[in-house]
Amino acid sequence: MKILTVEDEPKTGDYLRQGLSEAGYTVDLARNGADGLHLALTGDYDLVILDVMLPGVDGWQVLETLRGAGREVPVLFLTARDEVDDRVRGLEAGADDYLVKPFAFAELLARVRTLLRRGHAEPEVTTLRVADLELDLLRHRATRAGQRIDLTAKEFALLELFMRRQGEVLPRSLIASQVWDMNFDSDTNVVEVAVRRLRRKIDDPFEVKLIRTIRGMGYLMEEGASP
Amino acid sequence: MSRPASLTRRLTLLFVLVSSVVLMGLGWVLQAAVERHFIEMDRAAIEAQLDVLERLFARAPDEAGIAELEASVEAMFARNPEMNLSAWTDSGKVLLATSEINVPVDEHPLEKGASTGVLTWREGDEPYRGMARRLQPEIDGVGDIVVSAALNIGHHARFMERFNRTLWMFVPIAALLSGLLGWWAVGRGLQPLRTLQRRAARVTATHLDQRLPESRVPRELIALTRELNDMLARLEEAFGRLSAFSSDLAHELRTPVSNLLTQTQVVLSRPRDAESYREVLMSNAEELERLSRMIADMLLLAKADDGLELPSVERVALDEEVAELFDFYDALAEEEGVRLVSEGRARIRGNRLMLRRALSNLLSNALRHARPGGRVGVFIRDREEGVEVTVENEGETIPRDQLPRLFDRFYRGDPARSRDAAAGVGLGLAITRALVRAHRGEIRAESGDGVTRFVVTLPRSARLPAT
Repeated sequence: MKILTVEDEPKTGDYLRQGLSEAGYTVDLARNGADGLHLALTGDYDLVILDVMLPGVDGWQVLETLRGAGREVPVLFLTARDEVDDRVRGLEAGADDYLVKPFAFAELLARVRTLLRRGHAEPEVTTLRVADLELDLLRHRATRAGQRIDLTAKEFALLELFMRRQGEVLPRSLIASQVWDMNFDSDTNVVEVAVRRLRRKIDDPFEVKLIRTIRGMGYLMEEGASP
Repeated sequence: MSRPASLTRRLTLLFVLVSSVVLMGLGWVLQAAVERHFIEMDRAAIEAQLDVLERLFARAPDEAGIAELEASVEAMFARNPEMNLSAWTDSGKVLLATSEINVPVDEHPLEKGASTGVLTWREGDEPYRGMARRLQPEIDGVGDIVVSAALNIGHHARFMERFNRTLWMFVPIAALLSGLLGWWAVGRGLQPLRTLQRRAARVTATHLDQRLPESRVPRELIALTRELNDMLARLEEAFGRLSAFSSDLAHELRTPVSNLLTQTQVVLSRPRDAESYREVLMSNAEELERLSRMIADMLLLAKADDGLELPSVERVALDEEVAELFDFYDALAEEEGVRLVSEGRARIRGNRLMLRRALSNLLSNALRHARPGGRVGVFIRDREEGVEVTVENEGETIPRDQLPRLFDRFYRGDPARSRDAAAGVGLGLAITRALVRAHRGEIRAESGDGVTRFVVTLPRSARLPAT
């Protein structure tokens, strides 16, 4: 998967490149709008991460020209201003998602993955599996090592999210938004509590722990994770 | 857009305009009066001559007597060349003519015994005024006689001309003079404004407590001065809020930033194993995440100060929102041994995300301060005047004097009150109030008998976002 990042702020650009590269993507970095536009028009990218505020040709113009040239590559906008107008304008201009600075890298990664998954329709699955944990989506049933586990509806939704995104670090805000539709940062530890309760059911009774806490970033489900 | 003309210039021009109109009107009236006066004078002179002629003809015995008469009349009027007398009979026989000038009687046929009015006409270059009268002297063979007197009024016309010339020269000069006078008067009249200006110039960001002298301005300016003073008061308050806000912000940022810096520098001061670095980075990430959330919240509040607009408005069922929030907070409440209860239902028009966030903040606040084993309740009342949502928790009573301050930024009350060390930065309730106000609602806090209550009143329909 190839990602083009257009970002003029040197540090941000560098860490975006490093972070995305380490997440397994091929990353090209353009430091201004003109270069970015050139690369976007000539290269074959799966995703463009575009800063709005760029010297010379700004993000709006890059996006406009790109869409004008019939390029349907998904675009993720980065903006420093959380203005409704900006958001609406960006989405109207054909951006697929936006993120307000400062943002958590895990959040960016999660959005990048969502955008990249779009268009690559996942095969319709009825059962999710991580190690010996199984989730039957049709019958709403969770089992681990053959043992039936009773989950509340929200616990089930949380577990499903973890399992669908196994191997990805899920920031708390993303979990709150995906499971409870709470699209703002809550200053409580609701997500921690919910994850703790889920762990009590699916991890605590078992030798191998599947949910890992990545401090400062979020949670991760993977096979053979240590606590 | 061009600037409107200066007040002084406007008033001066008005002065000039008004005085010109008045003077011109006056001149016209004066001129008409003088003209009329001349006419009256001339009429009197002419009528006197006609009377003399009438008497003379009445005394004349016969035609021969009339010829004699002519000579004596000519002699009589030789010294008054301006007056031209003549007399003729109906048959056209001229009985008397002191000059060639005749009153143009033909155009005005005369009844018996009648006379024409005062006629004015020109002959050659000279203007004349005159009258004719039909006499019926009892002289045999003569019949009716028409006598006429024509007065050369050239000297009157010349006088009027001079008079007019003087008048029309005087008008612009007088107008100019009154303009100058007006300019000076306006300058004097605007003096209070200049005083205001000097006082206003003293108002600066550091001296916002300056006020304009309401008692020392003319009555017309009192309202304006009062408005300006009110504006200054509002500015002072807003400015005070703003500077308190920035100093709060700096203060709140200082501690975490200094922690981050110290911790990072200590770790960097000598080589360590990877685990130590990880530990610091993770702790930094947590701290930074908190900071970043705080910045986002501060931005929201800063925007709220300019009046928050609702990005979109829809029908929101408050009871459904509460149910979803309970779903979210359920696990947390259970951990803390707090019961969540709700009652009532209502729908209002508003922004779903903002309303949900406001309620969420109140709920998390209630949960944080709830007594273990206690109850957190949300009660919705659909009232005539709007919807009232009460979020209450059992817990310590908050002193009355602290209640209004709960909504201040960064206010955390008694630090011991919060059992949750990772609690928010003290912006939650301030944000809630901003969100409620964006819906034209109000929020207040009550506390007593171990129950703390936040009461939100919302109008049924929030205003639509400005387009």
